[in-house]
Amino acid sequence: MMWGGLLLGVVVYVLFGIVPMVGNVIISFTDYTGLPGEAVHNLGFSNYTSMFSTEAPGFDPAIVATLVFVVAVTLGQNVLALLFAHKLKGSGKFAAAGRLLVFLPIALGVTVVGLVWILIFNSQEGPMTSFFGLFGVHSAFFGADNWAMPLVILVQIWQNVGFSTLVFIGGLRAIDPALYEAAAMDGVRAWQRLRRITFPLLAPSVTVNVMLAVVGAFTTYNLIYVLTDGQYGTQTLGMLSYNVAFGSFEANLGYGAAVSVLLFLITLVVALPMLFLLRRRERRLIG
Amino acid sequence: MRRPRLVSGISIGVLITLLFLLPVLYVVMMAFESPTHFLASPMTPGSPDVSNFGNAWNSADLGPELLNTVLYSVVAAALAVALGLLIAFPIARRLLRGHSLLYTFLFVGLFLPLSIIPVYAEARMLDLFNNRIGYIILHIEQPGLPGLPLAVILLTASIATVPHELDEAAWMEGASYLSYLRRVVVPLTRPALLIAFLYAMLGVWNDIIGPVVLLADPSLAPVTKGIYSFYGSNESQFTLLAAAVVIVSLPVVLLFIASQRQINRASLVGGIKG
Repeated sequence: MMWGGLLLGVVVYVLFGIVPMVGNVIISFTDYTGLPGEAVHNLGFSNYTSMFSTEAPGFDPAIVATLVFVVAVTLGQNVLALLFAHKLKGSGKFAAAGRLLVFLPIALGVTVVGLVWILIFNSQEGPMTSFFGLFGVHSAFFGADNWAMPLVILVQIWQNVGFSTLVFIGGLRAIDPALYEAAAMDGVRAWQRLRRITFPLLAPSVTVNVMLAVVGAFTTYNLIYVLTDGQYGTQTLGMLSYNVAFGSFEANLGYGAAVSVLLFLITLVVALPMLFLLRRRERRLIG
Repeated sequence: MRRPRLVSGISIGVLITLLFLLPVLYVVMMAFESPTHFLASPMTPGSPDVSNFGNAWNSADLGPELLNTVLYSVVAAALAVALGLLIAFPIARRLLRGHSLLYTFLFVGLFLPLSIIPVYAEARMLDLFNNRIGYIILHIEQPGLPGLPLAVILLTASIATVPHELDEAAWMEGASYLSYLRRVVVPLTRPALLIAFLYAMLGVWNDIIGPVVLLADPSLAPVTKGIYSFYGSNESQFTLLAAAVVIVSLPVVLLFIASQRQINRASLVGGIKG
């Protein structure tokens, strides 16, 4: 009974969690369309080489969009989360309410969050249209080339900052209060306490949060899908992969899979050295 | 010394309120506006008008879609947690060789990127495309929606706190494995089970790419897909859309407030992980 249960669970995990990751690589070497009854051919590396050819519009802009998105989201999300965690780590009523509030977008989910911000930034009667109108600024916001990307970045941060905040709160609460008391007794100033005690001992939480933000920003595109569907300069590699597979009339799943395999490799190439550096930083700071 | 600190504390509080409460409240206000008043003055509330809710409910099929969502997310999350328990127990009790290797293998599952293309291909091949049972099976575990591996990770830690003596006592009494799990392990690991269940459920509940790709029939659509296509066909009916958004969010917000203690506990999990 026990072994049967274990086997069943592991089979489900392998079949629906691991097999797709392998399948993605296999599909990326084919011209698979997803339509039943259509023959599938081995294309070798041509899906990969065509990404870099001029016939593939949207690939170079997608690389740029991805990098801008990842850097801005990682920085913004972590700085804001640290600020929030510092104020919301307490056990008081306001702190608890604040924690609930920053976590709310995660519960609401990307579709509702996306629609909330679309309503607020709608270009006809939205409050932001009125607000920016006061300064003589008129824009289609999510439908404007120079506005869409910054707004998508802000909404992505809004959506996910709650989780990073909770991780930082966990890290802050794990720091022994006796350290602060001892430092205060020795007359160490607040800023010095922050620099000498809080930052070093928070290093493990920084590692977790930076890695989560980097990997999340590289690979997720569901919020972008709701907000702009990758239009107006917001087509990251993840969004491009989805759009060539399901968004166009071509149904080019093979090419989409190749883009997502490349995205996965880029994520690894960026994330693994970062993880190594952050772990080394932890050891240096904590000793 | 004390004053600037108080000021910065208050200003962060104001910032959080402005950033997180105001947008939500604004959409709620919008939902209670009559369309004509909203067009005339979008910034100020008019006399409350509830007709948007009825109109949204009737024209967007929200009822059947909410039922689909509840069915998909509750069943898929329950299965994920049940299977997670079946995997976690032998690992936590170190009953097999390579238990730590198996644990690592499942841990990797937390970091798999969202990749819908191969999931779609699998759905086509295994006949799980465009049907309820298939959709549920594909949501027990999916790259990017790690309900099952998270359940294993949380439950392994939790089962380790259940005393071994209880296992032995049950063995002696001749209790079956499943009834032992149900009568002893489940009650003692309830907080971890609940967090794993809530997390898995929220993932399925809020999924938007999955229903767009894996379901074609509108009658199978969960509420995320329903409200997204409702937005596509009513782009400038802002008050109607706002009402639909409020209706759709209400169950999640209520569940969220009801389970806030568990969410606070989840922040401790974050601390351990860090």
